[in-house]
Amino acid sequence: MQTQSPRPNNPSPEDARADVCRRDFVRQAAAAMSGVAIVVIMGESGAGASEEQAVGAASATRSSAYDPTKHRYIYLIDITKCIGCGACVRACEAENNVPPHYFRTWIERYMVSRTGADLTDSPNGGRDGFEPRVTGEDITKAFFVPKLCNHCSYSPCVQLCPVGASYRSPDGVILVDEKRCIGCGYCVQACPYGSRFLHPETHIASKCTLCYHRITKGLKPACVEACPVEARKFGDAEKVGDEVSELIATKAVGILKPELHTGANCYYVGLSQEVR
Amino acid sequence: MEHTKHLWRVLFILLLVAVAVVVGRHFVIPPSFGLQGFYRYDSLAEYAAKPVMHGGSASCAACHQDIAQQREQGKHQTVSCEVCHAPLALHAKEGAKTADMPLNRSVGLCAYCHQALKARPATMPQIDLREHLTKLEVITAKDDIPEGACVTCHDVHNPAMEQESPPEGNVSDANAVPATQ
Ligand code: HEC
Ligand code: HEC
Ligand code: HEC
Ligand code: HEC
Repeated sequence: MQTQSPRPNNPSPEDARADVCRRDFVRQAAAAMSGVAIVVIMGESGAGASEEQAVGAASATRSSAYDPTKHRYIYLIDITKCIGCGACVRACEAENNVPPHYFRTWIERYMVSRTGADLTDSPNGGRDGFEPRVTGEDITKAFFVPKLCNHCSYSPCVQLCPVGASYRSPDGVILVDEKRCIGCGYCVQACPYGSRFLHPETHIASKCTLCYHRITKGLKPACVEACPVEARKFGDAEKVGDEVSELIATKAVGILKPELHTGANCYYVGLSQEVR
Repeated sequence: MEHTKHLWRVLFILLLVAVAVVVGRHFVIPPSFGLQGFYRYDSLAEYAAKPVMHGGSASCAACHQDIAQQREQGKHQTVSCEVCHAPLALHAKEGAKTADMPLNRSVGLCAYCHQALKARPATMPQIDLREHLTKLEVITAKDDIPEGACVTCHDVHNPAMEQESPPEGNVSDANAVPATQ
């Protein structure tokens, strides 16, 4: 078993010479190829570098007031405060022109009974509020859970985008490049939180941007501003004395689906194990 | 060596490919791609340039000083004007009114937040609409709830009915944000 079987046709001396010749050729060709490759790579990176500087200067002037590397945004939701009014969902819709019946943020109502029946609902994403519901079950606890993109540090959606359209910005926001997205929908399926959808008109992936156009101007996301009970909080982990960072450091908080190790950046106070 | 011709041919083809790649990538790859990672960096600036719709309650105060003050003193101090009305951008631009602001006097508006629900925290003042209105003899048990029923008694901008000591609970105004630039 351990010995190689001899080659069927032992090469004649001529064959051997031919063999050496071919081997030489391959060796030289490989050397030449790597030489060319080095030249190409050097040329490319050289050209790339000068181009980078030009573009870098351009975008620096464009957003000179705002440096994305100086921020890292985090989000906190207090389930014990949420009243399920849907103001956040409506505000998000108005701020971001979200098509009807699609949601960048939504509210789920959990009703837990002793029998363990699944009584979770989210009529129209909570946009139109919630109606009282008679279930015939013995409800032992009930609460609202607002959801949105978790802006994960290790996002599955970013990892599998085939064209580099989904990305995580330096300030920790997961965004979709609307010009690059080809609408393949892989990210929609990959997101374990269901935070993405394909826009019915543009047919490209769409999702929560943390209101990037607002936060870069020092404003809060529309949903945070709309909340009448301060159940939603928005913070910046890079800021000294940030309220949300402080709450996360000192209070009992949880994230959704921690077992998936997505590095979710949306924290919940009062999270219960029924929440999926 | 007798086979150098082959080498030169291969080299020539490789060179052609290399030139095609170097030239081609300028057309295929957008200028800012790869500046910070595997994405087009200019996309960030495009997102940042989208129009801001909500101005926050502070932005309304500039023109509606009286109502802003009224709200500030009442129980609705944490409820943003734009939650009950509509975003600033649909109503005023650059210091001038551009369109009418919707006035939603419907019972549904109050019900969003005050309809009694099991899932609602007990600290939130909530009512069964029908019960509230029948108890106050606005309607009888079999009447429909009239639209605009709530605003006939409650001042929406300062809704508490009993004369109470000024706003208890030190909830700071969550909605006070700088006016839009
Ligand atoms: C709880 C919901 C709610 C909030 C919060 C609210 N409004 Fe109103 N507002 C209403 C309703 C409902 C009416 C119609 C009242 C009526 O006709 O009696 C109204 C009427 C008005 C009017 C026109 C009526 C008048 O008195 O001239 C103005 C102006 C107005 N609101 C401005 C504001 C501003 C500014 C704020 C924020 C400081 C604000 N509102 C916050 C619900 C609200
Ligand atoms: C540039 C000044 C300006 C700003 C800012 C402004 N308004 Fe007005 N608003 C007006 C004027 C002018 C009217 C005309 C009615 C009047 O007061 O006589 C008006 C009327 C209204 C009315 C009554 C309905 C109507 O359209 O006539 C409501 C409600 C209202 N505003 C709400 C708001 C809210 C909420 C905000 C903040 C998001 C706001 N306004 C910001 C100038 C302003
Ligand atoms: C976006 C949510 C929201 C809407 C819409 C809303 N409210 Fe409120 N309301 C609140 C909050 C929050 C409080 C303060 C609760 C507290 O003090 O803890 C409040 C307080 C009140 C109170 C005082 C309760 C008390 O403790 O005495 C009354 C009365 C009231 N609202 C009536 C109304 C009416 C009438 C409407 C419809 C025009 C309305 N609300 C619409 C959120 C809302
Ligand atoms: C006939 C006048 C009247 C009408 C109409 C009316 N209310 Fe009231 N409301 C009151 C009075 C008086 C109180 C305070 C006494 C009480 O709690 O019953 C009150 C209290 C409240 C409270 C506070 C309850 C608490 O637990 O502190 C809320 C919330 C409220 N009303 C909402 C509404 C809503 C929503 C409507 C519309 C469906 C409405 N009201 C219609 C007179 C009225």
